[in-house]
Amino acid sequence: MLSEERNRLLCETGPATPMGELLRRYWHPVAGAAEFSRQAVKAVRIMGEDLALYRDKSGNYGLVDRHCPHRRADMTYGFVEECGLRCNYHGWLFDHTGQCLHQPFEETRHPAGRFKDKVRIKAYQVQEKAGLVWAYLGPRPAPLLPDWDRFHSRGYKQVAISEVPCNWFQCQENSIDPVHFEWLHDNWSRVLRGEDGPRAPAHQRLGFDEFDYGFVYRRIREDTTENDELWTTGRVCLWPNCLYTGHFEWRVPIDDTRTLSVGWFIDELPGDMPFEQDVIPCWYAPVRDERTGRWIDSHVMNQDFIAWVGQGAIADRTKEHLGESDRGVILIRKRLLEDAEAVAAGRDPKGTIRDPGANHRVHLPIIGGLSHPAPKGGPRPFPFLAGQPEEVVKELAEAWRNCAAAASAGLTAGG
Amino acid sequence: MAETAAGQARTAGEAAEARAYGLTADDLRDWAPFSPVEIYWALKHDVTRAAAGRWAREGLRMCDTVRAIALGMTPEEVRPWAGAGFAPCDAVEARETGVPLETAAAWREAGFILPDAALLIHDGWTLKDAVNARYAGIAAEDRPAERTA
Repeated sequence: MLSEERNRLLCETGPATPMGELLRRYWHPVAGAAEFSRQAVKAVRIMGEDLALYRDKSGNYGLVDRHCPHRRADMTYGFVEECGLRCNYHGWLFDHTGQCLHQPFEETRHPAGRFKDKVRIKAYQVQEKAGLVWAYLGPRPAPLLPDWDRFHSRGYKQVAISEVPCNWFQCQENSIDPVHFEWLHDNWSRVLRGEDGPRAPAHQRLGFDEFDYGFVYRRIREDTTENDELWTTGRVCLWPNCLYTGHFEWRVPIDDTRTLSVGWFIDELPGDMPFEQDVIPCWYAPVRDERTGRWIDSHVMNQDFIAWVGQGAIADRTKEHLGESDRGVILIRKRLLEDAEAVAAGRDPKGTIRDPGANHRVHLPIIGGLSHPAPKGGPRPFPFLAGQPEEVVKELAEAWRNCAAAASAGLTAGG
Repeated sequence: MAETAAGQARTAGEAAEARAYGLTADDLRDWAPFSPVEIYWALKHDVTRAAAGRWAREGLRMCDTVRAIALGMTPEEVRPWAGAGFAPCDAVEARETGVPLETAAAWREAGFILPDAALLIHDGWTLKDAVNARYAGIAAEDRPAERTA
């Protein structure tokens, strides 16, 4: 149970709020890079800030205030040039640093005035990595964008994004809540399938360990022991707003009552021939079943969404009753509050990387290690989110077939 | 030639962990049964194998051991808490937040696990206020705490 004040502290992420200041010390994925082959400019809202994300004709990304500093027109209706984004209202052009580069009429009438030098638009840093576009909304110098080792694994990668209508923190609490898996995913799925058999193996013991980039949570169920990887390796609550279990699920606050769920997934492919993926596809996963008006419940992350939105737009933690299964949840609340204090005191929070030498294929614990065998007979149906586009299904199947054929040919050629 | 860490690891994931943290087979053997991430955390915070073993025998995981040592605790201080049915890590949490055993026991009796209670106590809540807040909207005669009191 939390006081109203503590709850607010953990949930509010707007500018100048303690948690907003903390989260602004990290890079956040805000879009798929593939989206920019279809459109050059996109409206995004991150931690309560309305922004325009674009890729200019030189291929550089920019993230600027949604409103032009001239007369406040909507920059997402602007157009990109070789360098920067030009407002469609009176043609003012801004580069990715926010500097105004061109004011057509001002420069015609008063070229010596150099009014453009006195005008800036709010701008944030952006980078592309692993098929995602990442934004940093904090003070400079920015920490390094983590180069997680999993990004380099061989396999077919895809990005799936959903907008979840609730606060980010109840989503992130789910990242260190092992017992929910037994009920929300295992037992409830059995009920949804109409199965009447025995319940899923019950959790017997939990353990939590801290490491540089978050916390590892471990579990022993009725059907596992201390020698099982669920205990020896565990899963990762990746700091400050992600779950990592071999795939990533970031929970990026759009504002205080909406969260961008950004998933990064990889499917192992047969053989070991090099596999190059030209474009990592990005698709938007629906959360609501349009036919029934109910939340979609068929896939793992959709089930999570149901739990989170069920807690309310902002979970009222003044009314909760925490038990032994919630120790991880309390652990991250406490640590986030401590980190917010560290930031207020001018220190770096947990998990930021500033040494370039330490930012190469940064290791995260993963069950089975980074190399997993590809499933036999073809890719598995996507279990995480409903709505995977047919073209992604086909592309993955084709990649799987090609790799299987190459592996088979290699075996034949090698005798 | 030195044996690879993989030879001592219990699972593939653990072998990958050991490699990532630069741990050798000797490290894993010497530190068994600690996991690679615990060994890494111990080495990072200058916790010796012997000290880690003493704290582990009291039931503490490595991250709590590191906190306990930083707080100047001894492993023996965990025992009264474990003896009273608290999780061993609660002893560290209590020391860190200044919650006495009797207070923790009273809050537990009312249904608040220690780390939950510690934050509320730190914020100035009394047990009575916390119970009242928790059962807001529930008739006094229906409240479990009132029934057991």
